[in-house]
Amino acid sequence: MTSAQGLKSLPQANMAASSHQPSAVQRAPQQLRTPSNRKTIYDRNLNRTRTAELSRASFAYLFGEMVSYAQKRVTGIQDLERKYHIPDAHNEWSRVWAYCIANHFLRLNEQGYPLGLRLLPLLLYREPPRTSVRPNRILPLLQFIHGPFWRHLFGRTADAIEHSSTANNEYMISDNEPLVNQYISVPKEMNQLNCAAYVAGMIEGVCDGCGLKAAVSAHNGGTEMWPGKTVFLIRFDEGVIEREGLLDAKK
Amino acid sequence: MASNKAARDGEKIWKTNVDKVNAELVTLTYGTMVAQLCSDFNHKYGEVNQQLDKMGYNIGMRLIEDFFAKSGVQRCGNLRETAETISKIGFKMFLNITPTVSNWSADNKSFSLIFDENPLADCVELPNDGRAQDELWFSNIFCGILRGALEMVQMQVEAHYVADVLRGDETTEMRITLLRYMEDEMPPDDE
Amino acid sequence: MVVYSFYIFDRHAECIYKKKWAPRPTSTGSKTQQANGLADGAPQPKALSAEDDAKLVFGTIFSLRNMVRKLGGEDDRFISYRTGQYKLHYYETPTSLKFVMVTDTKTNNLRIVLHQIYVSLYVEFVVKNPLSPIEHPGGIGVNCEMFELGVEQFVNASLMS
Repeated sequence: MTSAQGLKSLPQANMAASSHQPSAVQRAPQQLRTPSNRKTIYDRNLNRTRTAELSRASFAYLFGEMVSYAQKRVTGIQDLERKYHIPDAHNEWSRVWAYCIANHFLRLNEQGYPLGLRLLPLLLYREPPRTSVRPNRILPLLQFIHGPFWRHLFGRTADAIEHSSTANNEYMISDNEPLVNQYISVPKEMNQLNCAAYVAGMIEGVCDGCGLKAAVSAHNGGTEMWPGKTVFLIRFDEGVIEREGLLDAKK
Repeated sequence: MASNKAARDGEKIWKTNVDKVNAELVTLTYGTMVAQLCSDFNHKYGEVNQQLDKMGYNIGMRLIEDFFAKSGVQRCGNLRETAETISKIGFKMFLNITPTVSNWSADNKSFSLIFDENPLADCVELPNDGRAQDELWFSNIFCGILRGALEMVQMQVEAHYVADVLRGDETTEMRITLLRYMEDEMPPDDE
Repeated sequence: MVVYSFYIFDRHAECIYKKKWAPRPTSTGSKTQQANGLADGAPQPKALSAEDDAKLVFGTIFSLRNMVRKLGGEDDRFISYRTGQYKLHYYETPTSLKFVMVTDTKTNNLRIVLHQIYVSLYVEFVVKNPLSPIEHPGGIGVNCEMFELGVEQFVNASLMS
């Protein structure tokens, strides 16, 4: 269940590019050159772009290139097996197919992760002081993702939060029409594919940033009314559940 | 003035005809993408620039269709008109900015776009590894986008950055040169 | 009003999408050629293969478009032409994509409809779909479900009425 561990230590932790975090800026001994008019990130108000808008199409094109790029690169097969428990390994063709799909997921998931991690402190910083607290329990965390986090990125809250009736550590957040999938028409033979894996990665980043480790995946949950409905399955680590139990018992 | 009209049209299209999305989603998505490329290419920034250009080229070829569909703009008669349209309508429509067109060459075949603002680079500092500021063109995707988009209207161009505030330069400037107009393609003759 | 067929050609002169509804009547079959165009029984004389058909259509519009430009200036364009049997409607995007619809002769001008198919179907479902390739040799990627469905609905709703 906690098989996505391999993802966490992934890329660019050491890259400053696009660092949005208000704190923890490391200045190496050698200073970066800056223009004399001081157009640097330190001279800008962090809230400057809070309500700024760009065209949805420009996101769609960037995201699209990201999806094709993710499709082309291959990562270790073991990672995939751990994360997706690819079932009928005896059928060579379906295995190859499954790998392609899973690989695709994995890369998108990976790319969303740092976004979640970075947005968390930024969004908290912008909350009014009283609510500007990092969620440290499961429910407030899910509410934060469902509410402020979703609203900031997609202009509305997510559509539902549910607790799995079968597995205690599993929660689901669903979105009836994910913005990231707006222009994506998935061919029938690839119906397991859901590019909202990118958003799943973001959720994973937020959970991790709050110290509540979880593996998050995006699944198609289309219904008659909402054919594009996507369910984000959040599986918390056993340790998280254990701690939750202890905290509840203390009350 | 063609330029004023383009600016008005651009403003109108942005206001009425464009679906919007939170800017930080786009900015952070692009930032993550560049960071990912840097790590995938082992911080060989030359290759990252190339990959960004390639991705931009792919985007440009798609984006141009969207541009015409949403803007209703007709094909431009000359490069000056093209430059104004790119700045006042194209950049406006997708990124809500209008870079300045300037530094025309004597033969009217190349010009610069000067960016006062660049939403893609809004919260960026290049890695302080002693190389990135000399080698990486963070917004290189734009060069590819222009190259791809203009190819679809039969203009072959070359585009590259000559300055970037992220590198410590005073401005961000891209240079665009028209190489040639391309001919209509004919169906293969199979009789 | 009857729609016979619909084609899209790309800038490489390749037919990247074609769809047929009713067979186009030909003059030799004139006795059976009732307006509904669906009269089977009548064998279609020298029925062309779908590819040949598309090639002929392209050849025609390509020559016609160039001729129109020579006569009427670079910005002039043809909108439709009509024969005794059918009417061909034409819309070309600034990116040299060519949209062609063949209908019966009574149909009004469809340039706007073709433009709408470009704007609200082609751009939204084909161009913006990252799983569809950028160019479409052999038509790959254009025939995605959402586009197909859209064209079908479009033709049913706005044309067959």
